[in-house]
Amino acid sequence: MVIGERPVIEEPRLAVRRPSSSLWSRRSLLIILLPVLAAVLTGVAVLAVSGNILLPFERVVTLEGKMASKRDFFEDEEVQRLLLKHHIRVHITSSGSREVAIGDVASYDFVFPSGQPAGDLITSQRAAKNQYVKVHRPFVSPIVLATYREYAETLRAAGIATPQHASGKGRPLYYVLDMQKFLTSIDEKKRWNDIGIQNLGITNANRILAQGPDVCGSNSAGTYLALVAFTWHGENDEVPDTDTEADDRARAIKHLLEQGLPAADVFRTYLSPEGKGIAPVVVAYEHQYLTYQVQYQAESMELDSQRVLLYPDSQFVTQPQFISLTREGERLGELITRDPELRQRAMELGFRILDPSGEVAGDQLSRFLRQRHIPVPSMEGDNTRSSMPRLRFLERMISIVGDCPAAGTSAGTSAGTSAGTSPGLPE
Amino acid sequence: MTGFIAVCLAWLWLGAASGCSPGDPDPVTLRVLASSELADMRPLLEDLRRDTGVTLEMDYRGTVDASNALVPGHYRHDLAWLSSDRYFQLKVKAAGHNIEKPLSTSIMRSPVVVGMKPATADRLRRATPGGQISWADVADASAEGSLKFAMADPRHTNSGLAALVGVATAAAGTGGALRAEDVSCDRLRGFFAGHALTEDSSTRLTDGFVRRQDDLDALITYESELLSLNSGGKLRRPLEIVYPKDGMVLSDYPLLLLDPAKRAAYDRMVDWLKSEPVQKKIMERTLRRPIDPAVPRVPVLREPVGNALYFPDRQEVVDRLLADYGDPQRDKPAQVIFLLDFSGSMRGERIAKVRATFDGLSGADDSRSGKFVRFYRGESLTVMRFGGRVLDDRSLTYDGQRDLDRLRGFVASDDFDTSTAIWSTLDRAYTKVAGIVRDHPGQAVSIVLMTDGENNAGMNLDAFISRHEARPQPARAVRTYTIRYGEADTKELDRAARATGGRMIDATAQSLLSAFKEIRGCVK
Repeated sequence: MVIGERPVIEEPRLAVRRPSSSLWSRRSLLIILLPVLAAVLTGVAVLAVSGNILLPFERVVTLEGKMASKRDFFEDEEVQRLLLKHHIRVHITSSGSREVAIGDVASYDFVFPSGQPAGDLITSQRAAKNQYVKVHRPFVSPIVLATYREYAETLRAAGIATPQHASGKGRPLYYVLDMQKFLTSIDEKKRWNDIGIQNLGITNANRILAQGPDVCGSNSAGTYLALVAFTWHGENDEVPDTDTEADDRARAIKHLLEQGLPAADVFRTYLSPEGKGIAPVVVAYEHQYLTYQVQYQAESMELDSQRVLLYPDSQFVTQPQFISLTREGERLGELITRDPELRQRAMELGFRILDPSGEVAGDQLSRFLRQRHIPVPSMEGDNTRSSMPRLRFLERMISIVGDCPAAGTSAGTSAGTSAGTSPGLPE
Repeated sequence: MTGFIAVCLAWLWLGAASGCSPGDPDPVTLRVLASSELADMRPLLEDLRRDTGVTLEMDYRGTVDASNALVPGHYRHDLAWLSSDRYFQLKVKAAGHNIEKPLSTSIMRSPVVVGMKPATADRLRRATPGGQISWADVADASAEGSLKFAMADPRHTNSGLAALVGVATAAAGTGGALRAEDVSCDRLRGFFAGHALTEDSSTRLTDGFVRRQDDLDALITYESELLSLNSGGKLRRPLEIVYPKDGMVLSDYPLLLLDPAKRAAYDRMVDWLKSEPVQKKIMERTLRRPIDPAVPRVPVLREPVGNALYFPDRQEVVDRLLADYGDPQRDKPAQVIFLLDFSGSMRGERIAKVRATFDGLSGADDSRSGKFVRFYRGESLTVMRFGGRVLDDRSLTYDGQRDLDRLRGFVASDDFDTSTAIWSTLDRAYTKVAGIVRDHPGQAVSIVLMTDGENNAGMNLDAFISRHEARPQPARAVRTYTIRYGEADTKELDRAARATGGRMIDATAQSLLSAFKEIRGCVK
């Protein structure tokens, strides 16, 4: 299958280790494999009964998919195992979500942009050309700022962040970020040194900001842009309604998002031992952080209490869009939306899964986190409800802030991911 | 074990996997345009071929040269493997909107930092409050002549470009990415006064440093290069690695897929490079930091890298830097002619401030900006004191502390005049300048005129301007910066400065030292 190429400005994502069996030389493999192969073949029926392996007699379909941070889901070994049971393997091409939408998707079975704006771009374009397209929205995840203890505590001392109520005992992992105050310090060109980061043993003369991926390519950066625009404009008139308004608001916030040349893969950089110097505050999805803590907890039997989350006080929940472009892709879409095991695994990867009515399904994630001894971030709806601008206007804003062309959209398309804790599903 | 066998069996059946399959994947040869410093990965390439069937044909070049060779739509290689693709990204962005950037995966990291002789590092640390060395301290010591460093050519190499952007960002001191207005000022001459060795590749730079280790004090390059050099036994004493307090620029060695038809091999190669054992091997062999967050760092790589500086997102900013500082032979040090008003009104506190300003520019100002814009080795300084006539006219070239003492003597006189001939003095300065630029074409010269009163002797401003316009072009091109002090005439000083292409700086609203610094580096 020929695969279209896309530039990669990756969204923040978690590295998922692959087995490194490729290092084995051919000869040693044969030595190991040949004897066991015979044994295995005789025992294949037994193994098949266990339900853990693919029946070798059925064809496995490899599906081509293109996505950004949601590749964390498909790169998870457990997800891969579950999919093999259904005779599906997935080959992924990485790309920012918005890049998925503005690029050619013809050679893919499905795409999985991280948010609704990019999803809507694709569905409207496919629908206009009468091409196969079906959408599933299996789970959601809020946009957050991932940071380090010293930075969160500096923001707290400056009155810009407060620990979340339900953070549990011990030092808080989760803080609420007063976006208005945060953006005001950026607007005033304050540096980390100006708000007292030295009191916590760190020197940083860089301007205060949250690093994100390229806004021209990624959903998280686009969502963060909408969040900044929403906060900076004030709450009376939530989203722009005209091109002029959208342009004005984009120009008004452009300086709040200046970060020089955006780096790729900021979330993985944040997780690295060098992260505190290179990427001290990054735009991310909640699920990425939760997955990390679950893994960390499993490996070291304790939490990483150095890495913490800032929840913006006006919360934006992103809704990944699984878009099938072929019937095979649709089979996968059905599976991840309905298969209990895959849904369970998505929840274990930190997603807030949706029930068929589109509501966040109970407090399964809370229960799971509690079992793993991970503090549960507050999920109650005390956040300001806010909404994304309509797609056309969001595109104009991205184009101005990121200095890239707006994707062609029909005026009526809505990008309106409703926000708060229970995003309603349109249509 | 059961699980493993089961999975292998599944893969076997499909005949598609690389790891479990007894049949190697199709052997393939890829042509790679690579940064020259990646030559140290050569020993791993054989492992790559054995494990994945991918053979690489490497075409090594300087990173900036390689980036310039990458023309979207006309790639001549299958892959590019650069120390950093930032310069390439800027080029693509500047070239227009509809160019697709190639698939890109970072493989490892290394910051560009300063390796210093321990004695030099100790000396700088002692002079710095807090004891953490910054780019400003390096610039200060370079200007003073006590630090000579090696740095690769930023027009060709990534390490040179990263160092240049790093020091320029620190000098601008905005805390953000460099903007066009930040690079329009000349703040790095003092720093570059210490640039004693350049090369077209970081490897040759290191070799050159080893040869000249006795007369060089510092080597600005990748952390990995410095660590390797320290453990290589070629230095009499290992260098101390200084992570500048004001930040550094990081390289992340992205692998770019230029030919989409080679995607399958690219995927195999990327998976292999990012696998834990290979990441570990890369780290141990090259002392670059793994891109994989979970690989435990060897002890020397547990040192914090410091803060990453934001990289400019406009090509014109980087190109301007390269034009100004790219050429190590770019120009001889500059000459500055100071015209200082020594009329009676300057007596007392005002002249004391002039003297303090000269002390500040001679190295006493230990602010960050002061360290960048101070007088530097090789710079020629002329002081013309004037009243109703030129009281004296003395010049020197800064070559050591002795010269700074002499310079202090130039402004120490208490001989004040009763009148003020501003325009006749400036006219005389231009006569001097005309001679300098005639005898030394290309010599950078500027004039700084400071006065606290109105012109009451000699020619008037109109007369000066008409004589100025009649001068030969090279003399007219020399700019005059006027400093308004005390009761000086704003309009006239502004007009005179503009007539020469310079501008007026008001020292009544800020300190005299700040005004002089603003002229020298647009710093406030």
